[in-house]
Amino acid sequence: MKESNKAIRFAASLFAVALIVSACGGDDAATEDTTAEDTTAEDTATGPADDSCGGNGTLIWAHEQEPGDLHLDDPENGLTITAWIRTGMWEGLFGVSSKTEYYPRLLASEPALASADDGSVTATYTLREGLTWSDGDDLTSDDVKYTFDMLMARNSADEYVYLLGDRTGLDTITAFNVVSPTEFSVTWSAFFAGWKALFGEIHPKHVFPADPAEAAAAENDALRTWSYNDTVLPSSGPLVFSEWNKGVSMSLVRNDSYHGSTSPDAVNTGVAQVGCVEINFVPDTDAQINALKAGEADVIMTQPQLAFEEFGTNDDFVVASSAGPIYEHWGLNLFNKHLKRPEVREALALAMDKGAVMEGLYTPLFGSSLPAEGLGNVYWMSNQSDYQDATSDAGYGKGDIAAAKAKLESAGYVLGADGIYAHPTDGALSLRVGTTGGNKLRELQQQLLQAKFKEAGIDIVIYNQPGGEYWDAQPFNSDALACASSGGTKGDCNKWDIAQFAWVGGPWPGGQSAVLRTGAGSNIYGFANAEFDAKADECDGTVDDAVRAACYNELNLYAVTLQKDAKTGLFMIPLTQKPSFYAVSKIRLASYGVAPDANNAGPLLNVADFKKN
Amino acid sequence: MLTYVVRRVLSTVPLLFVAMYLVHVGVSATSDPLAGLRLCLPRCQEGYDRVVDVYELDRSIWLRPFAWFQDAVKGDFGKSEALGEPVAEILLKRGINTAMIAVPAFLISAILAVVLSVYSARRQYSKTDYALTGLSFLGLALPTFFVGLVLQVFWGVWFPNWTGFKPFYTGTMRSDTFVELLQSVTLPILTLVIVSVAAESRYGRANMLEIVSSDYVRTARAKGLSERKVIWKHALRNALIPLVTLWALDFAALLGGSVITETIFSWPGLGPAFVIALTKPDLDLVMGITILAASIAVIFNLVADLLYGWLDPRIRFD
Repeated sequence: MKESNKAIRFAASLFAVALIVSACGGDDAATEDTTAEDTTAEDTATGPADDSCGGNGTLIWAHEQEPGDLHLDDPENGLTITAWIRTGMWEGLFGVSSKTEYYPRLLASEPALASADDGSVTATYTLREGLTWSDGDDLTSDDVKYTFDMLMARNSADEYVYLLGDRTGLDTITAFNVVSPTEFSVTWSAFFAGWKALFGEIHPKHVFPADPAEAAAAENDALRTWSYNDTVLPSSGPLVFSEWNKGVSMSLVRNDSYHGSTSPDAVNTGVAQVGCVEINFVPDTDAQINALKAGEADVIMTQPQLAFEEFGTNDDFVVASSAGPIYEHWGLNLFNKHLKRPEVREALALAMDKGAVMEGLYTPLFGSSLPAEGLGNVYWMSNQSDYQDATSDAGYGKGDIAAAKAKLESAGYVLGADGIYAHPTDGALSLRVGTTGGNKLRELQQQLLQAKFKEAGIDIVIYNQPGGEYWDAQPFNSDALACASSGGTKGDCNKWDIAQFAWVGGPWPGGQSAVLRTGAGSNIYGFANAEFDAKADECDGTVDDAVRAACYNELNLYAVTLQKDAKTGLFMIPLTQKPSFYAVSKIRLASYGVAPDANNAGPLLNVADFKKN
Repeated sequence: MLTYVVRRVLSTVPLLFVAMYLVHVGVSATSDPLAGLRLCLPRCQEGYDRVVDVYELDRSIWLRPFAWFQDAVKGDFGKSEALGEPVAEILLKRGINTAMIAVPAFLISAILAVVLSVYSARRQYSKTDYALTGLSFLGLALPTFFVGLVLQVFWGVWFPNWTGFKPFYTGTMRSDTFVELLQSVTLPILTLVIVSVAAESRYGRANMLEIVSSDYVRTARAKGLSERKVIWKHALRNALIPLVTLWALDFAALLGGSVITETIFSWPGLGPAFVIALTKPDLDLVMGITILAASIAVIFNLVADLLYGWLDPRIRFD
């Protein structure tokens, strides 16, 4: 017995010692290494920072996705995270702000556009002075020209397709003239409305072979590991690639040669205030939240947003949000027996209470980053300068039950004993609303609206299906699409009634027209209007920014009101934008960057504004 | 015994072959590595052709496994498309990471299971026995992910709030120093221990109760042997036989990758790699992890068989 007691005591002592040893080295917040190699005047106010990766000057971002490699546009590696990481390393001519608007990033100013009689358009660009790569080389017009030549090299499209997702806009460039190290001009055969989206990343000419075709081949390999000839690729952004421990983390260190950010969101326009960014790959969302709470992460940017609720009311954390370019809407099937009547669609728009949705579900968490009245435009988003709330202007989205009832009655609907309207020939006004099941926020939204619509005598049946099954079974079912594209003469027009899902907008909203044009593959609604198609062409061909913006607002009227098309208009009811947001720890961070538009960039876009306590 | 071992090892070869064949056909039949690429044709023709070539997709689904076998027997398990590294390297690196939590978790839970089952059996229907039984059922009822998340919150948030220090990391493997590694590894191990020991102690208790009331144990007591000797030398040895079977299965499963625990704690082991491989799908990686897990299962079942003979000398390997 004595021996057994001894053994137990020994084991207990061993455990206690292990626990104490662990505790002594444990809390990195409490026992940070305060030995700084590089102490600045500013540092002395808050304590010296250890800028090495893993030191107290390291910004830790916990994220669920890990890229397979860093090769953007690789169809086998189509992860948003790849773009988010690269945005901190390679800058482009234009950046996208949290308002989902372009701003000159490597450029000194907005380029001047000049139209010629033959229809060609020339943009004259001027780069900022003092642009450098992290290895000390100057970033010049030659780098931009090199990027263009490399992407357009004969073999880029055939053999190295991954370098370039889409050549649209580049393939109509007829001339590229380098005027000086900071000046160059680009000529398109015809105006390309998305011209600012081009050259989103400038590649370093001095690293790769001079021959464009050879360079394309070299980059195709180099971009996977972010190194060429065993040397890390130089950066033009605030961070330089450092180390990747696959499955665990990736480290990016500060670019001390960084020329500074010109983003309208940026407070700090110098080099990053953190010495290192460590991206920890944490696949589980709950574990990410726990990591933030446990002080093992400084920032998390994840879904679902409802998981962030607890941070909204906790003083130790901040949910930084901005209105993103992704928007939720109700899409209406124009070939449904009820929805084919404009009065019914208008009754839905009138009875829709977006204010209640915002007040109940979005505003408590995201505050004023989203408008309280919801979204009223499917081209321009509420945070963009050219936004016009066309639905509010038309009186829609305000939960006007009386007006909705009047509309239904004007179309011959009669209120039944059960409180639901019915049409003499088409029966009860019962409509199915479907979405991808399991999305808690959408489901709550549906339930809230279901009750509201019942007051207006409209029976809303929630008809969700899991994930991908929903798309295949309802709006994107091949028979449903056949119905939509054939004007209701083919396929099956009863697969769905109302579809709730999100489309992605952006700084250039012209792409939205692609899903609304007559017969377009993604035009699930069945909208067909030659006048709209011609107008969309006209908008995309308009050089003047202000005129083009107004033109897109006009296109919006076709989709969300009956003003432009009294018969088949109003087939989209925009609800709200999905905010871009991240949660940060106020305990560990003295300052943090504005939440970027998550569709275009992650936390690294404004990394210079992050500062550790 | 040597003949028995050789015979068993040789008999596992066709077993592994059949298992691999079925897994290859099964994964091939239920996944489409070309799904994403097909959407961007003809722009992605090169990538499309490359994937067709890598996975021999132009061949019949029934014949594809043979090409994989040809390379595998030469030690070439292919390259993981999802993780961008050779499968053999991934298996080695992540296998070691998995072993770091699996081996200690197995040893601790095995020791605890034995101690608790002996204690419960000796003090059947005591308050402690009821308490241990209740805790075992709790451990059995709680899903692994829940145990892991509770441990994260307790040790990562509550305990530091109460005491001012945080003894363990709640996620992401840190291995710069041994202390850091210890801090990283503790909670995943604890999760696995809680989940494993609950089941094992129930088995152990039931076996012990049956054995301690058997005739030979009564005889041992009648001979005047001390209770300690009766329990630990005579009873436990026989009671361990069913537990050894359970341990062999548990240990093989742990070494094959604890998907949930490793995911919750962001532990870069075989579990998360397997999930990535299945969701991509990354056939080479699926096959690599499957063959490793299957081999481990076969080996530990063999070890269990050999242990039966040691625990019960009446068992012969003729």
